[in-house]
Amino acid sequence: MKSELKVTSGARGKNPDPAMGRIGVYFLHSGEDASAAKDLQNLADYASQLPGVSMVRTLAASTGLDPEALALVFRQAGLSAVVLASEHPGFFKPAFSRALALAGGNGDQVHLASFGERGDATSPDRTKAVLAAAVQGIPFTLPPEPAPGTFFNTATMVIGGGVAGIQASLEIAESGHKVYLVERTGTIGGRMAMFDKTFPTLDCAACILTPKMVAVGQNKNIELLVLSEVQEVTGSLGAFNVKVLKHATRVDASACVACGDCARFCPVTVASEFDMGIATRKGIFIPFPQAVPNAYMIDPAYCTWVQSGGKKCGACAKKCSKDAVHLDAKDEVVSLEVGNIIVATGYDTLDATRLPRYGYGTYPNVLTSLEFERLTNASGPTGGKIVMKTKRQNKKTKADEWVFEPDGPKPKAVAIIHCVGSRDRNYNPYCSRVCCMYSLKFAHLVREKLPEAKCYEYYIDMRAFGKGYEEFHERIREEGVSLVRGRTATVKEIDSQLYIHGEDVIAEHLINVPVDMVILSVGLQPSHGSAELAEKLHVPMDSDGWFRELNYNSEPNSTGRDGIYVAGVCQGPKDIPDTVAQASAAAAEALRSIVGSRNKEDRNTVPQDAWEQTTVSPQRS
Amino acid sequence: MALRVNPDLIDELELFGAKDVAKCYQCGNCSAACSHSDDPYVFPRKSMRYLQMGLEKPLRSALDPWLCYYCGKCSDQCPRGAEPGETMMGVRRWLTAQYDFTGLSRMLYRSWSSELTAVLGVALLTGAGFSIFGFFFGGGNLSVYDGPGAFLPAHAIHVFDWTMGAILGLLLLINCLRMWHFTMRNEHSVPVPASMYLHFLPLLPLHFFTQKRFRHCENKTPWANHLALVLSYLTMLVLIMVFLKYMQAGPQINWYVHVFGYLSAVGLVATSIFAIRGRLKRDAAYHRHSHESDWMFLGLLLFVTVTGILQHILHRAGLPMAANIIYIVHLMGVVPMLGLEVPFSKWSHLAYRPLAIYFSQLQQAAQAEKTTNLVTLQPRA
Repeated sequence: MKSELKVTSGARGKNPDPAMGRIGVYFLHSGEDASAAKDLQNLADYASQLPGVSMVRTLAASTGLDPEALALVFRQAGLSAVVLASEHPGFFKPAFSRALALAGGNGDQVHLASFGERGDATSPDRTKAVLAAAVQGIPFTLPPEPAPGTFFNTATMVIGGGVAGIQASLEIAESGHKVYLVERTGTIGGRMAMFDKTFPTLDCAACILTPKMVAVGQNKNIELLVLSEVQEVTGSLGAFNVKVLKHATRVDASACVACGDCARFCPVTVASEFDMGIATRKGIFIPFPQAVPNAYMIDPAYCTWVQSGGKKCGACAKKCSKDAVHLDAKDEVVSLEVGNIIVATGYDTLDATRLPRYGYGTYPNVLTSLEFERLTNASGPTGGKIVMKTKRQNKKTKADEWVFEPDGPKPKAVAIIHCVGSRDRNYNPYCSRVCCMYSLKFAHLVREKLPEAKCYEYYIDMRAFGKGYEEFHERIREEGVSLVRGRTATVKEIDSQLYIHGEDVIAEHLINVPVDMVILSVGLQPSHGSAELAEKLHVPMDSDGWFRELNYNSEPNSTGRDGIYVAGVCQGPKDIPDTVAQASAAAAEALRSIVGSRNKEDRNTVPQDAWEQTTVSPQRS
Repeated sequence: MALRVNPDLIDELELFGAKDVAKCYQCGNCSAACSHSDDPYVFPRKSMRYLQMGLEKPLRSALDPWLCYYCGKCSDQCPRGAEPGETMMGVRRWLTAQYDFTGLSRMLYRSWSSELTAVLGVALLTGAGFSIFGFFFGGGNLSVYDGPGAFLPAHAIHVFDWTMGAILGLLLLINCLRMWHFTMRNEHSVPVPASMYLHFLPLLPLHFFTQKRFRHCENKTPWANHLALVLSYLTMLVLIMVFLKYMQAGPQINWYVHVFGYLSAVGLVATSIFAIRGRLKRDAAYHRHSHESDWMFLGLLLFVTVTGILQHILHRAGLPMAANIIYIVHLMGVVPMLGLEVPFSKWSHLAYRPLAIYFSQLQQAAQAEKTTNLVTLQPRA
């Protein structure tokens, strides 16, 4: 292995206890600092004296560790456990777990000696104790020690403003602590805001989510940063410093009353991201009417004024009666001090054009699940009517385009294809967990809104795993939906009629079913930018790109680093109830460290009396 | 009807090259992706199911595996990497062994060492036999290649190859009858009247000479390659079985005969190199896995073609002794290739594939007739 610097001999003067197995200790270092290298040598000498340690190595840490090469070393040394020792070793744990498993050991026997979080820069003895605890495989229970003169910051940063981020923010803010909620898009709400109904209760999704969104907007302890992205993270538990890039919305949110005058005069029309591209928005827009913050914003990529360098247009600024539009506003980088970070970055759906055999992007009436979700939503382009796309000529480009219109033709048969890109080693090998249930929900909506229409579900295995889910499955079956076991191979259009081609596995024959609309139940995958964020945070990811929890059973919210927690789908596919539960759990972990810390520093929270005024329930106001 | 389960079937098939069958989760994507799969012959998922369940008898009576040409689309699209295409290939090998009444096929497929021993043994026997024949019964002079006094005279070789052809044909015929018995005379098959057998008979030569069905695969290259191989091989077979005298005569080139010989030689070399290159590069699903029998088949084919060309060149170059030696070496490849491969191994599919198409159409026609009869028998309301 070329990144290896030197090898120190192991287990000098002591017989390794056979009951303890053979432990390898790896010191990961950046390989640049000479004084650190000296400290490392002392620690390595110490480690080699510990019982059970049969090998001590130093390794220049790089992101590209090769598990197979490591496994070779492990196998030769006959290791049964590995200790990773460095400032933040958690990031490298997956590679070592995989290597240990490849070498025939138990992949769980990788222990972390995290000096950055557990140790103390001024106390070599404490550092040694951290190392010894990791070698013994027991938790190091002393609470983290802030450096002398520093304080434990009680503010928390939540990255991602979906339902998980909202829930975690509310839990912490309502306990009286400061929260910075960083959201990449122009509004909080995330994916759940796009949904029409939730399974299995068929509750209206917006009725559950919007009160929470409003509560976030009104809570004085929550500082909401929209169009913002985390740029850099330094520090550790109790004293993180996070640089956040705030893109300018170019509209003063406190002055904007969301009257919409600006958008009426905006000459630019583009596809709406919130509506998954099946409806349009203007260059100055509000993602959806219930958005929080409830203010318009400008999309600089399409704005005529921005693109022309201020020479053209500017209609929105002229028409705004509140003078809220500031076209020349600049992006800024803010530096925030927080004690804990909760990651809730959620998911993207699989790009259905990767499966050309289903014809998405080629045939107009092949939709993805989120597109159908917007179509059937009362706030969608057709007011919730399930219709087929109609051909229309674009007035500007004169090209034909397929659009949803409220009076479009109704489909007579709808097919829902499960597991699109899920449980498939060519795409995502894992089960996305929610698709079966939302597909059943779609089938219900189709049967409810179009009782004459036939509805087919093509599934591999029906995974109705949660409380009330199996009953929901039975209910949909009784509603007259055809549930066909067998994965669809192709969707073809012959004489402008879509055909589903697959095998009915139960009946053992091939099927060729004419349908008018196809819904692809695309799987979930980590939202774009997750890998970059993980690198900035120094937290591990698993092989599928989800944030990796420290222990799946006992520490599902913890990452490899103290003070950084995961919540929601960014840790792995899950439905809304599980997401909300995990978000509350992550908030509890953050609160535990805040409440339990010594040398608390609380500069940010709003005084208690002011806070009480803000917690008036939105329904009552 | 009782179904006997053989729990070791899946392990048995692994020796025949079936890969990763246990990974299959029965989604049916493969059957629907296949351009050949159609009711009632829906494959390869059903064969995968038989294997997983250990249903030996239904698998033995299945025609499906012969209707597959292994374009590899099923394996490419398989979400589990269960390699349904290679499974079908493995089932075809297993079926070949099932049809073979001698049990030799099963032994050759299951063990690489016995296959190698058999090929080498037959080759050495052939070499020794033809040497003895040449010295004591033939021309006796190794430096005479053609004409009167030739070391291996054409008329004697004709006697040998016609005898061998008859024996191999008989063996293959018996195996074909067993195939008919398994596939057409089981409890699920519909009885087919003799007239129908006769009526559909033209299907056999049609599919044998055109490989028509293979062309339905989305990727046409394997079909073109296979057809070129079949036609080249048949041409060469006719030349050797009927026109050996003209082939052997020299040193001038008899273009009326040799033009066909050259064409088929080029075809055989090109197609076998194409296949070997594909199997080495493993760039397509149908070339990703190679059973020992595949290498043996291709190796022998290339060996026989190259030695055949070489003896021709040596003879025209005026080196009759070298030509005679290479001739014996050539025969040491030909006899094991045909003697072992045609009735017992990969080459037998030249008979089983057209037969399977023929049988499947007969079954469908008989089924249709049975259904119409039932309809007409129904009393009117």
